[in-house]
Order: sequence, then structure tokens, then C-alpha cells
Amino acid sequence: MKNKNNLSYLLSLFIAVSAAFILGGVIMAVSGHDPIEGYTLMFQGALGTQRASANTLAKAATLCLTGLATAIAAHAGIFNVGGEGQLYLGAMASAIVGARLTGVSPWIAVPLCLLAAMLAGGLYAWIPGMLKVKMKVNEVITTIMLNSAAIYFCSFLANGPLKTAEKGVSAGTDSIDPAFMFDRIVRRSSLTESIFLAAVFALFVWYLMKKSSTGFQMKLTGQNERFAKYSGIKAGRLALWSMVASGAICGLVGMFEIFGLHGRFIESVSSEFYFDGMLVAMIMRYNPVGIILMSLFFGAMEIGGAAMELNANIPSSLIVIIQSIIIFFMAAEQGITAAIKARRANRKAARELQKGDAA
Amino acid sequence: MASETIVSFQHVSMQFPGVLANHDVSLDIRKGEVFALVGENGAGKSTLMNILYGMNTPTSGKVFIKDQEMKSFSPSEAISRGVGMVHQHFMLVPSFTVAQNIVLGREPKKSALYDFRKAKAITENLVEEYGLQVNAMDKVADISVGLQQRVEILKTLHRGADILILDEPTAVLTPQETEELFSVIRRIVQEKQMTIIIITHKLYEVMAISDRVGVMRGGKLVAVENTADVNERILASMMVGRDVLLGQLDRNDPDVTDNEPAIVIDDLHVADTRGLPAVRGLNLTLHRGEILGIAGIEGNGQSELIEAITGMRGYTKGSVTINGKSIAGMNAGQVRALGVAHVPEDRLATGVSPAADVTDNLIVGKEKLPRFSLFKTHLKKRAIRQYAREISEKFDIRGAGIDTTVGSLSGGNMQKVVVAREFSFETPVLVISQPTRGVDIGAMEAIHQLIMDKRNAGCAILLVSADLDELYRLSDRLLTIYEGRITGEFTPETIAKTEISYYMTGGQKEAEA
Repeated sequence: MKNKNNLSYLLSLFIAVSAAFILGGVIMAVSGHDPIEGYTLMFQGALGTQRASANTLAKAATLCLTGLATAIAAHAGIFNVGGEGQLYLGAMASAIVGARLTGVSPWIAVPLCLLAAMLAGGLYAWIPGMLKVKMKVNEVITTIMLNSAAIYFCSFLANGPLKTAEKGVSAGTDSIDPAFMFDRIVRRSSLTESIFLAAVFALFVWYLMKKSSTGFQMKLTGQNERFAKYSGIKAGRLALWSMVASGAICGLVGMFEIFGLHGRFIESVSSEFYFDGMLVAMIMRYNPVGIILMSLFFGAMEIGGAAMELNANIPSSLIVIIQSIIIFFMAAEQGITAAIKARRANRKAARELQKGDAA
Repeated sequence: MASETIVSFQHVSMQFPGVLANHDVSLDIRKGEVFALVGENGAGKSTLMNILYGMNTPTSGKVFIKDQEMKSFSPSEAISRGVGMVHQHFMLVPSFTVAQNIVLGREPKKSALYDFRKAKAITENLVEEYGLQVNAMDKVADISVGLQQRVEILKTLHRGADILILDEPTAVLTPQETEELFSVIRRIVQEKQMTIIIITHKLYEVMAISDRVGVMRGGKLVAVENTADVNERILASMMVGRDVLLGQLDRNDPDVTDNEPAIVIDDLHVADTRGLPAVRGLNLTLHRGEILGIAGIEGNGQSELIEAITGMRGYTKGSVTINGKSIAGMNAGQVRALGVAHVPEDRLATGVSPAADVTDNLIVGKEKLPRFSLFKTHLKKRAIRQYAREISEKFDIRGAGIDTTVGSLSGGNMQKVVVAREFSFETPVLVISQPTRGVDIGAMEAIHQLIMDKRNAGCAILLVSADLDELYRLSDRLLTIYEGRITGEFTPETIAKTEISYYMTGGQKEAEA
């Protein structure tokens, strides 16, 4: 039964993706581009060279972690829309600690920075989590508001009290010790050693959600909080912790950006990375394995789309259109499958009625 | 008695998405009779009556009212042909007076203004004509459920109904109110030549009130009989399609007075969700090896009492001691750890996670046992599934694999999931609320036997139910509750069902406190 549901969902997903690509092709054709060429360039741009594949993988890692962050909170019934703010604060915290620890052994400094990032993101998620659990304040509203608060606060720090004295660089904090930086795995790509850490964390989240007794309790809390409490599960505490974990993962993503690419906090550390991951999570119904796979796909599309724009002059907004169509179809998926099922049942019943009448 | 046909269903079938609710039903209802329609939940009684009332359009078949075929189905069409329906959940405006509710939708006007005096006069005329006593100027919010039902009936009469459908009319009534309703039904049938169709699943009511009875099972009308030719046992077996013996349960004779008490409640005060006192100074003692039944009209503090005992709600004053330990300040998990299992009154909201599958719902609360998880962390999926299979077989959870989502189960099977989980904790104390509400007879029989087996094994069982038959069948002792206090203590042998309702509505027993 369960497997059948999953299969039918995968089938719908496959149809949605195919339909989106066909529609995307039509749009390309209408706007005077060759769809075959466009998609070929996109494919090559995403996976054609080692560097392209590396960039795709790096993008996928970000999507995957932010998606899992959404999923872990949603698992316990909290919809965290505030990951972007948690990501900014995590980035800022790690940048500050990183800059202060210049000269210390990386083996000590990097874990400390990691801890600082997770702490900052987690604590920032704790606020709306607490409001939700204790006072039933709608977390969607509070997390959205706290996004702006965090982003502007970081912007203030980067342009004000913590502004670097270095000349000739964009506004931001002091640079961290280059020894702390994650090494690039593929030259001139954005793929760094942080991918290994990302994989470890992704594995951990998957295990927690799908294989552990705590994940089981979280799931029940998310499904029916009253039932969870009745069963003796500490529902409030679990929901709060899952929110904190979600924030911590977002903080981690911020730290990876700083320690992988920028070397210091800059304002453009993220361009709505969290929201992209959130979409992936929602399309895959918060299923961790699904999120990991879909992140690869979305990552390839984004990297490939940029290449397509560069080489064939097809606007990369097309990718946004394709993604939107997929999302649109998947949102409608439930209604459509229900309607198909109902029609099938109706037909079957009508047949049986006829059979009965004939007999 | 007249034998002229007033309503005629001819080969009516009703198809809902995925459910064939009515299958080729042909039925004639005669003018001036009381026709009872019985069947388990989901047998299609309400669907059939909703067709007559125009709420559903049948997939195939014809319906004739007074020899005229119904061409289009809508409630206004049905009302104009003289069909009235009183639903299980009343459709009244609580802040309006009785008179305002009765004339709702056809308000008397004096020029463009609402004519209150006329509305009152209309109501008083109706009251007099049909002998249904109710005060026209009372606010509906202030009157009892039994009176609200009368207002509903008067409303349909005012609209000119001569065919009246009553959907489970006694579900919310005390035995006395039920008796009054029945005498009203008899009078309007005799004096006004009304036709009454009553949907119910209480068989003794069928015997008490109806002239003929139709039995539905699985969407089909399986039998139509003169009530005088059948008895409850025959009807019950027709409803479920086999013999059900709602007869003797295996009950050993305990001597409970010497047993140590499992639950002692002293001067308990509990507030409801709005902060108003719901339980006010309640005392009781529950011993091992007995079933203590709590009888009361719903809303007299039973829900809050159960929630307080099980740690789901704090109490403001008094004490609850379970197995010798006070539960003050404990949450549900801590109370469970004292050896309490709980079958809650609202299974869908509290007793299960509808979105989760049967396995998950059966394992909840046991997921950290060494048998099911390594180091309380790693779930042993295979052992869990094995266990779920065993339990669902043992408790006969039918029509569902262990991977079915619980929300798609019937009420009876869903309740079996709850009972199976709670009973397999093997706790010495069981707190059970409305164990068979909305459950079909087959499941009811099974659940009753399970409860009795627990008692015979020495468990202490506190049973709250709105169903007096159930309480009488199971309880060793009965307490009546009214406005948050115990108003009397009885044994089922020593007090009649009609008499006990006196205590359920506020009468005090002289000798005891």
C-alpha cells in the first residue's frame, strides 16, 4: 500500500517534470530558439565538464541541506520559513569567530566556527519555536519577520561595527585565516571539502527522520500533536528541538558559504538559498531521500540554465519557469490523483451494478 | 392503520466516490406508520434518507412521494412535498428565541418589519396543536437538548411536513426524554396521520416505537418486517448478517472490597478549557478486578475527569492517587508509567494518528522498548512489523493490512486499533471512555468481551459511557455524575435504567453522599 503510493507519486512527478520540460521547449521555440540546442547546452552546462559537474554538486549540497532543514521541522509539525535568516546569522557567527581565531590550528578553529554557526542558527530558530510551542503563535509569520530582522542585522554589522578595514573590497567583515578555508576539490569550481560534511549531516538527518525512535515520535507529533501528548510523547519539547535542529542546519549552510567561497561575511552570502531548498522539500513531501535526489536535479537545472544563458542567449529565467511548472503540477497532483481514483471507482461500481441488473 | 403508500423508493442506488452507499433499494413506506430504519454504521440508512430529503441525487432509480416522481432533488423540493428532516446535529440559531427559530426562513412580516408577536402566536399555536410543550420566548441556547429537538420538530411541522425523518433522535437524550419523544411521536401519528421514519441503531427503541422495520446492511435493504413479528435478537443478526449474542459475557465473581484501591480520587476540582469549573468536588475509589461505570449526560464533567486522571489536564484542587502515588503535576507519559492505559473518548482527534498506518498506531508508546529499538534509538522495523501483524490478528482488526492508513478504516476497526494498542500495554489500570461509540454491533461485542477479559484478569477499569446499555452490561458498580459531582452509587442489578436517569439529571441519593 505504502509502496504503491510512493510509486504513483513518483510517476506523477515524472509526468510533471516531463510536461514542464516540454512546455519549456515550446516556450524556447516560440521565442525563436532551438529547444534541442537549448537543452543540450543546458545538459552540457550542468554535467558536461568536470567543473560543471562539480558546480552542480555544490549547488545540490546547498539545496539538499536547506531542504532537509525544512523537512526536519515539518516532520514535527513546524513550518520553518525562517531558514534564510538563520543562514545569515550562522554565516555571520562563523565569520566573526573565524576572524578572531586567526593563527589557531584549523583543527581547533574550524570545529569552533562550525559550532558557532549552528548555535547561532539554532538559537535564532528557538525563538519562533518557543513562541509556537508555548504560546501557539503562528510560526510562518514569526519566521518570515525574523528573516528580515536577521538579514538587516547582519547587513548592519557588516557595514558598521564589524566593517573590515581592508581597502578595495566590498563591504563585509574581516577575512578569516586562509588556513581555515575548505579546499576546492575541483579547480575553479565552487565544490569544496564542505561537501563531505554536508553528506554526513544529510545522512544524519535521514537517519533521524526515518530510522530512529525519536524521528518516529517527531512524525507523530507532526501528524497529530494531541495524540502524541496522549501517548506520552513530549510533543512540545520535540517540536522545539526539531526547529532548533532546522535552524542549526541553516546556520551550517551559511558557514559553508563563508569557509568555502567568500572567506569573510559579505552581504550577498545567500540569494534565497533557503527558499530554493524549501521548494525542493515541499515537492518531495519532506521525504529525506527524495530531497537528496531532487536537489541534484534542481542543482543541475540551475547550473545548466546559467550555462545555457551564456552560450545560447536563452534567458535563464526559463529555468524558473520550468521549476514553477513542476511545482504547480505537483501542487495539483493530489487533487488530480484523487479525481482519477474516484472516476475509476465510479466506473467499476457502474459495471458491477450493470452486472447485478443483468443477473 | 392506513396502508396507502406515501413514499416509494424504486431500485435506488447511490454511488459516492469509492463507496456504493445504496444498492438497488426498493421500499414502500405507508401513510401513518412509524417506520424504523436500522443498520450498522455505514449501512446506508442516512444516505437513503438524505435522498428522500433531496440532499443527494441518486445515481439510478426513482423516488415517488405521494405518487409523484421526484424529478429534481433538493431540500426545498422535498420540503414543498411535505418531507421534513431532523438531523442528528441540530440546525438552530442558539442566540435566537424558540419562536424566531421556528419561523426562520418564513418570517411573518408586518409591512416590511419582522412581526415578533405573530411569530410567537404561530409557535404557541403549533405547541398547542401538536402538544409539544416548549416556551416560545426562551432562547435556544438556554434550553435543554431535548427541548431543542422539539424546536427542530416544530420547525419542520411549521413548514407543513407530514413525512418526518428523525436521524438518530435519541442519541442525545436521557431515557426520560426519550420516553417523552416517543409519546409525542405516537400522538402525532395517531392524531395527525403523520408518517414518521426513524433512523436508529438502538434495537429496543425499534421494538418500542415502530410499526414496521427495515434492516440495511452494506448499502442493501436486507429485510422489511412488521415489528411485531421480530425481536431484538433477530434484528441484530439481520444487521450484521450473523448471530450476535449480545447476551451473557464471561464474568467471574470477584471480591473486590478487600483488593487494594487502584485509583483514589478525593475532592477533585478540574476546570474546562474555558477555565470554568467542570469537575467540582468529586470522590471515587476504583478497586482491582472491578469495572466502575460512570453514567451521566454528556458535558457533566466526564471528559475533564478522564483527562485529569490520565495526566492530559491539570486539576485545580483535590488529589488523584494511582497505585499509591499522587499524580499531581504529571503529564500523560508519567501517568502511563504508573501503569495506566487510556482509551480516549474521541478516537479520531486523540486516539490515533489518522495519517499514520496501522503499524505506527499500534507501536506508539512501545517504540523505546528494547524489543523494538536498539539502545532506545534504532528502530527494529522487522520486529515492529511482526508485532503489528500479531496484534492486528489477535484483536481481529479487519479489512486492513498493517500498512493501511488508520484514517481510512471504519469506525469499528479504528476503535479496535486503539483498544489493541492500549490493552496490549498490559497495565493494571484501564481508563476507558466511550469504547463503542459509533461502532457496529460486531465490533461492539468484541470490544465488550475484551474489556470483560481484562476485568477477569484483575485489572481495575474505569468506564465512562453515554450508552446506558453498555454500562449496565459491563459495570460491577455504577456511579452517576451530574455537574461534576457524583450523585449516587448503584449496582446494575438494583436500579432500573429509567430510574437512574433521575440521578443523571441532578437528583440526589438520600442515604449516601
